[in-house]
Amino acid sequence: MAIPMVSKLLRNHLHELALNDQRIDGREQWEGRPLQLEVDVLERAEGSAKVTMGDTIVYAGVKFQLMTPYPDRPNEGGLMCGAEVRPVAGRNWEPGPPSAESIELGRVVDRGIRESGCIDVNSLCIIPGEKAWQVILDLFAISDDGNLFDAFALAAIAALKTAIVPCEKFEVGEDYPLNVSKIPIMCSYHKVGNRFVYDANSQEELGGDERIHITLGEEYHVHSLQKGLKGIFSADEFAEIMERAKIQSSELRKLVNTVLGD
Amino acid sequence: MGGYGDIQMIDENGLRVDGRNATQVRPITIETGVIPVADGSCRMTWGTNDVIVAVYGPMEAHPRKIQRQDRAVLDVRYNMAPFSTSDRIRPGFNRRSREISKVTADALESVVLLEMYPRSKIRVEIEVLCAEAGTRCVGLTAASVALADAGIPMTDMVVSVASGKVNDVVVCDLNKEEDNYGEADLPMGVLPNSGELVFLQMDGDLSPEEFQTAWDYNIQAAYDIHKIMVDALKTGGAN
Repeated sequence: MAIPMVSKLLRNHLHELALNDQRIDGREQWEGRPLQLEVDVLERAEGSAKVTMGDTIVYAGVKFQLMTPYPDRPNEGGLMCGAEVRPVAGRNWEPGPPSAESIELGRVVDRGIRESGCIDVNSLCIIPGEKAWQVILDLFAISDDGNLFDAFALAAIAALKTAIVPCEKFEVGEDYPLNVSKIPIMCSYHKVGNRFVYDANSQEELGGDERIHITLGEEYHVHSLQKGLKGIFSADEFAEIMERAKIQSSELRKLVNTVLGD
Repeated sequence: MGGYGDIQMIDENGLRVDGRNATQVRPITIETGVIPVADGSCRMTWGTNDVIVAVYGPMEAHPRKIQRQDRAVLDVRYNMAPFSTSDRIRPGFNRRSREISKVTADALESVVLLEMYPRSKIRVEIEVLCAEAGTRCVGLTAASVALADAGIPMTDMVVSVASGKVNDVVVCDLNKEEDNYGEADLPMGVLPNSGELVFLQMDGDLSPEEFQTAWDYNIQAAYDIHKIMVDALKTGGAN
């Protein structure tokens, strides 16, 4: 990704807004943008979801492949999660091999899902040591107006929740829904001016400093953390956003459950 | 072309596997402005094809060595999302997508008034989210709409559609089964205002008469599809 010039005017403007408890698009400090979650949107994927957060739009699609289990884990299938931000998503995203930014995106989302244990890898085994399912989760952004992390993470878990294991296509039995037992939720906070805000848009990302991503599971178990970009934060600041993440992840989990009809 | 002539895909009433007659095109919807951060964009569904196109620019062309002193560079990329087909596609460029990107660029360069923007670049990003058959036609047609949505001056919009042959019958707008097992495929890019062509490919086996029929089907379908494109640009589209 080409890093555009950050104008001092934008940084100063964001700083002044923060001092007056304001944000550049008029939101409150902990207010997210309008959020829409749709599932089963991609006909050829075995599970899919589309997330719209303000002007950020992403898709997640699940595909399955047969794999030979790793020799040291003969009873386990695999989960692979990759994020692609192609140049369609914005003028600063460039063609070519995956950039460091999109690799970080994919890996942070991957860790949240993997470590929550929401997918039982043992259940993906068909014949121990010989045949198992590999779940491939592809995250695909079509419009980047900031906070791709949360959008990807939400689309990812919703797509997995709707995935059907295509046994008939691979002639290994009958199709069944993928067992996803938990709903890990990521919440991201960006330092803009002198304070953290929730769900930064692209201007806040551009004129802000560090970002912190927190993935929480049920009962507020922490499954992944990531601090990105240059910046310094205090223990008190972290404690504050952790409290916010507990509230916001619960709200998002409710949304996922509502959309999935659970 | 698979050429498995023994698979029956046209019934005794001349209807195809999806119930269409020989000249009928799959259902089409077009929606503009679907990518808020782009200068122009379009989503086109055509049968179960689902294609999204973003246009960025005219913008600075860099590195400077790619600049043209007398006109803009048109940078067209066609790509299929990993989950767009039955078997997952490994991300990254391949020979097929590179060729389709090139012929799409060649077609669009024929209509976009590039000389109005010397030393700049216009990016056209075609992303196939769901593929059935004829994605290159959908991509090229949708790219025309996205360029128009971005306000880029053009002499005409390209309408692209393919006809082909199934069980020795010439049919318009092949679907997945017909594309896999049919005997010929003739995609064309038509300029509806002049009736001229900017894109042409073919593979398979067609007699001179069959070729003429397929050609005529494409031209007629292009005029019908053009109406949907114009309507989408006037209203924002998608019904």
